[in-house]
Amino acid sequence: MAVKIFFSLCMSAVVYFFIVAGKSSPAEWIYAGFLMVLFVQMIRTGDFSKYRRIFQFTFAFLFAISFIGILYDERGSMAIAEDSIQNSEIPFCHITIPLTMLPYFITKTVIFPARIIGHFASVISMLLIWFIVTITIGRGWCSWVCFYGGWEDGVSRLSKKTRFRLLSYNKDIRAFQFAFLFFIILVSFAFLSSVYCEWFCPFKIVTEFSQITDIPGLIATVMFIGLFLGLVIVMPFLTRKRFQCVSFCPFGAFQSFADRLSSFRISIDTDKCSGCMKCASSCPFCAIDKDTITGKKGRPEITCAKCGECIAVCPEKAISYQFSFVRKGCSGPEAESKTGEIIQMFLEPGTLFLFSAFTFSVIISSKFGPDALMRIFSIFTGGL
Amino acid sequence: MTIAGIIEPLVLGFSTGTWCVMYCAPVLLPFLTAREGLNQKRNIQLIGLFLGGRLFAYVLLGLCLGAAGLLVMEFFDPVLARRISYVAYIFCGIVLLLSGFRRHICNSGKKCFSVVKAASGDPMTALFSGICVGFHICPPFWTAAVRSAAIGNPLAGSIYFLLFYAGTLPFFLPLLGIPFFNNRFPGFRKIAHMTQVLIGAYFLIFAGLIPFIFRR
Repeated sequence: MAVKIFFSLCMSAVVYFFIVAGKSSPAEWIYAGFLMVLFVQMIRTGDFSKYRRIFQFTFAFLFAISFIGILYDERGSMAIAEDSIQNSEIPFCHITIPLTMLPYFITKTVIFPARIIGHFASVISMLLIWFIVTITIGRGWCSWVCFYGGWEDGVSRLSKKTRFRLLSYNKDIRAFQFAFLFFIILVSFAFLSSVYCEWFCPFKIVTEFSQITDIPGLIATVMFIGLFLGLVIVMPFLTRKRFQCVSFCPFGAFQSFADRLSSFRISIDTDKCSGCMKCASSCPFCAIDKDTITGKKGRPEITCAKCGECIAVCPEKAISYQFSFVRKGCSGPEAESKTGEIIQMFLEPGTLFLFSAFTFSVIISSKFGPDALMRIFSIFTGGL
Repeated sequence: MTIAGIIEPLVLGFSTGTWCVMYCAPVLLPFLTAREGLNQKRNIQLIGLFLGGRLFAYVLLGLCLGAAGLLVMEFFDPVLARRISYVAYIFCGIVLLLSGFRRHICNSGKKCFSVVKAASGDPMTALFSGICVGFHICPPFWTAAVRSAAIGNPLAGSIYFLLFYAGTLPFFLPLLGIPFFNNRFPGFRKIAHMTQVLIGAYFLIFAGLIPFIFRR
């Protein structure tokens, strides 16, 4: 109980500092209250996954409203103006991080038309955020921080039952995601342009898009809409998986490799595991196969995003968060004193992971959440 | 031919070799990594065929430009260069796709055209894709083209391209490590195969057909 109260108080300080401090509109207080309710529920019930889903869907929705609103304020349209490209004023998107690295290292060219520094969505800001998040929660970015993934999280829960089972295709889906990553990296390098943004981004429809001035522009727009409907709406609805995240997102694949730097991982206790496969069915990232369980690997596959769905459904309580530096099969020593027991309770990996991941959720959403709420209020009060 | 005339194209090729890597890597890396049972000898053979195809394209262009001399400036403009590149991408895409789907086309028990079977084999894929990449007009290639045209002699023009080509060769040396990579990560072959198909489709549709039909 003391641990839960302690972390709740710490989180309230984080929420206050990043969302409320120095501002006075009710939107900030409402959003801060919403986040605190979610965090307290997570830490009180131990059910991270349900409240995480609520957060991510809300964040994705609010992000779209805020981002589009800001675009209308600045440009009067969601369409990218030629001036914005020429002046490198496009907000740097984290999905393009893997495609910009190789061209930069070899040709010293940043192929994305964003500011390098001096803006919250500049290249350096995003790289810094990415690095800090990566060494802390790794691919947990996808299930706790990504402002696109929430769309799939929300849509995948609209259907009560799985209409199309992907379990037997898990390996192929994962292979395709990595193939798509390498394809995007190589062609972006060959053409020195962000090919993903030009043709394959499913989220243009909820962010910004190029003006349709010619037939190729029209084809690209049809592709953007088709990819959004197919990968973000239809497939998650049918499969109850985050289908775009697991099959098509180059950043997700890249983050699977970068996850080796992270401090936390998911651990499967192979002695406790009864092989019921509920974890595999519930995993939205296709990261648990039959082989993972029968082969007693002790951890999910490389695409695990630490969302906590498997932990929530495991009837044997065999799955848990663990520190990356703890070797497979090792457990912490038994506490020999009351003080040692208390320290162990405070250093429990699951609670520390939740605190770290939710802190990043708070920081990343701190601008967009209240801004979107203000815009929604202003619609009801007669303005935009 | 003067010493400067030999050194200039060599240095041009060597100093701009990263461009060649940029255009060749998407073709060669997945293609080589996806080959089954690729040993060092086979790897060198395939790289050799690819480079041979590229050399053929360079020498052919060098001959034509050298023969045309400065007349070439009348019609060899950036628009034409881009259109040549689009066509090169279309053919390169077809070659990569045929190679990528070869097993499905020819080994599934269905009727397979002998031409398709022969053209989609590994050696032919390496050779044809090398020729296609050779016809891709990149900025250093453009410089070499203008210089060889200025020489005004077919033989000297093709030698200029030959030396330019030789200057770019050191950038292909890292490819010799692919068999070691394949042995260490055997599971990567499937991913490389998918990457090859995706790149083939991209070259054919997005880098070839769409700009060829709808853009100048």
